[in-house]
Amino acid sequence: MSKKEIRFLKTVTAAAVLLAAAPVSNAMHIMEGYLPGGYCIAWGVVCLPFLITGFLSLKKRIQSNRKSLTLIAMSGAFIFVISSLKIPSLSGSCSHMTGTGLGAILFGPAAVSVLGIIVLIFQALLLAHGGVTTLGANTFSMAIAGPLVSFGVYRLCRRAKVNQKVGVFLAAFLGDIFTYCVTSVQLALAHPSENGGIAASAVKFLGVFAPTQLPLAVIEGLLTVIIVIGLSSYAGPELKAVGFDKGGKAHE
Amino acid sequence: MGTIDRYAYRSALRNVNAQEKFWFAILTMIICVAGRSVLVSGAVFLLNGYLTVAKGGLSLKKYGKLLTIPLVFLVLGTLTVWVNLGDTPMDAFALPLGNLYLTGSVDGIRQMAKLFCIVMASVSCLYFLSLNTPMTDIIFVLEKIHIPRLVIELMMLIYRFAFILFSTASSIMTAQQARLGNRNLAVSVRSFGKMGAGLFVKALKKSDALYISMESRLYEGRLRVLHKVCPAKKGRIAAVGVLELALILCTALEKGYLKL
Repeated sequence: MSKKEIRFLKTVTAAAVLLAAAPVSNAMHIMEGYLPGGYCIAWGVVCLPFLITGFLSLKKRIQSNRKSLTLIAMSGAFIFVISSLKIPSLSGSCSHMTGTGLGAILFGPAAVSVLGIIVLIFQALLLAHGGVTTLGANTFSMAIAGPLVSFGVYRLCRRAKVNQKVGVFLAAFLGDIFTYCVTSVQLALAHPSENGGIAASAVKFLGVFAPTQLPLAVIEGLLTVIIVIGLSSYAGPELKAVGFDKGGKAHE
Repeated sequence: MGTIDRYAYRSALRNVNAQEKFWFAILTMIICVAGRSVLVSGAVFLLNGYLTVAKGGLSLKKYGKLLTIPLVFLVLGTLTVWVNLGDTPMDAFALPLGNLYLTGSVDGIRQMAKLFCIVMASVSCLYFLSLNTPMTDIIFVLEKIHIPRLVIELMMLIYRFAFILFSTASSIMTAQQARLGNRNLAVSVRSFGKMGAGLFVKALKKSDALYISMESRLYEGRLRVLHKVCPAKKGRIAAVGVLELALILCTALEKGYLKL
């Protein structure tokens, strides 16, 4: 069997396991207690520089305009609510948006890192998604890595004069995929496979989550496009105040 | 969305000093995750169940239902780690697939069972905190441990706004549902997106209104909130301290760092 065939087989097996265990809800939050102590601390430390940068940028924004405090808080609540609502899905399983792509496009990656960790704390405490010890790892994958990719992709598309809708879709889609890859690697690092080490374990996790995460990423991309279109037609000027699309025209 | 929040406000342990509950939950969780002892995890799981159900007054059925939330991820994650695809069969089971084996080891089962216990124990710690402590109290504890004021203020506002936005979102979604807005996948994706856009526009308006009302109440850059103070009891603090020490001691004994 070639490597490709093996990977295909793994994916199919994983899909079978997955369907047996459906409905999967919010599989991408690493749950409480799932990572050993060292990894919890390490991921937390990795997040720190990003969080501090985000904190300082928010602080500056609020100092220069006090009114932005309520705006930023409202944005955080918006991300929390939108990511806690069930979204339409193909398989009928219960899935949620990550909201990271939307957040990164609207508010920029710096603000999203701080808002993201607050949202993750609320999700852990109010919805039992994720956890306190795994907060660092989850923050890194959902509030830092995903949004950075989304923001980068969106910027790149704008620079390359790609159609705005396509840019938004790609940003949200790729941000979601990247979040899911980072989470799989985080899980694999903490729980390497017995006969193939970290790499084999990462492939296994990617395979198991692929059937839910890939369609989810497409849907999240579409939803983000519809939301951004709706926003730029109803709330153009307000969006500029949040920091959206500086300089660029909302619609082309 | 408000289930856990509602249980927390109804808990009989609600008026116990929040810092005591917070530190009990967090320290116990750290001991479970860092110590990785099955025995201690089992004890912690039972203790937290007892505290939440018997002392906090949450029905066993509701508590059990909440415990199933993490179960799906746990089962899926553990199976993924345990089941391997390789060319050598392992000792627990091996399904031949072509010239490869879908296989798992006995040692793997042991590892996974241990992981399962640790996860359930730490989830029970998280639940003890979130099911018996209202969010405002937890935020107050975070303020006490010197989390920056800006983050605390954002948390207070986001917590408040989340419920307002959530009820707005549910009414929009009900209206969409009543107008066949979810009749097929394409329409429901469009409906959800439009709801999102509408929700954000409403959120922007509400944030304006809130700022105006804050200004008219002399907001000058700092939110001041009165907290209900529930005094800490020395006896309880001592009990928590003794318990945590006992857990550490048990972990050390099981791991063989200490010998009797």
